[in-house]
Amino acid sequence: MKARTGWLGIGLAMLGVLGSVATLAMVFFWVPTEARQGVIQRIFYLHVPSAWVAFMAFGIVAFASAVYLWLGDERADMAALAAAEGGMIFTAIVLTSGPLWGKIAWGAYWVWEPRLTLTLLLGFIYLGYMMVRNATDSPERGKRFAAVVGIVGAINIPLIHMSVYWFRSLHPDPVVLKPEGPTLDGDMLTTLMVGLLSFTLLFFGLMTLRYGVERARHTLELRESA
Amino acid sequence: MMRRLLPGLSAFVAIALVCFLTPDALAAQSADLGAQRLGRPYLFVFVAYAVGWALILGWIISIARRLRSLESRIDRE
Repeated sequence: MKARTGWLGIGLAMLGVLGSVATLAMVFFWVPTEARQGVIQRIFYLHVPSAWVAFMAFGIVAFASAVYLWLGDERADMAALAAAEGGMIFTAIVLTSGPLWGKIAWGAYWVWEPRLTLTLLLGFIYLGYMMVRNATDSPERGKRFAAVVGIVGAINIPLIHMSVYWFRSLHPDPVVLKPEGPTLDGDMLTTLMVGLLSFTLLFFGLMTLRYGVERARHTLELRESA
Repeated sequence: MMRRLLPGLSAFVAIALVCFLTPDALAAQSADLGAQRLGRPYLFVFVAYAVGWALILGWIISIARRLRSLESRIDRE
């Protein structure tokens, strides 16, 4: 891995970890407890930033996959793979923290309502992206198939966001991303924003390092084939 | 590496789905625990953050191990 890429990745990840530690301190020692849901609402500061990162990662996968299909640039495929792996991790966090929150707030771990179902589908699309890469005899074909899955799968992201408006849903309407501005309490909004920024930095840092793994593997393959 | 990880990952997803989709079956196994409501929100918040950070740490360790292994192979050649 190039030293510059390595230091960039480590630097961003360190900033992300520091921000996440600050977020944890804010969540457990500073932010007020929500009046109706009580303590369980504190999962919000893990659940929402993880969902944001998972959706952003899929956006990167779709963009990088389109670039790969268009230009055939290996670096775009490596970036898509790095983002997909991270997206899968953060989707797993969303799918773990959500049911725990739901069990207390709704009385059930899982309800087949649109946003939950579409988020589960997102997890399966990420899994499919990974599996399709290795499912063909030719690595190049596998990469192209995966790129198509990455682009088509991105349609799911706006569906997840709009599902609370379009369908009957147990999920509340957005409290931040709305035309009239955020309606969340000031301290809660600050904590959420610190969490969002921290997870975003952490994701980009780790994605850069994961990209470095693919670069190193590519270098090794080139040397072995030479 | 991903090929080696996939069976384990698939098994984890399958077990997680079974756990989340069959809450009644799980509750039946621990009917007494189901009555203890007082500490549950605290426990669930702790579990959510613990699992979240375990997944992130797992990814960090996995990246570091793969990177170290590849770089040592590149250095050897």
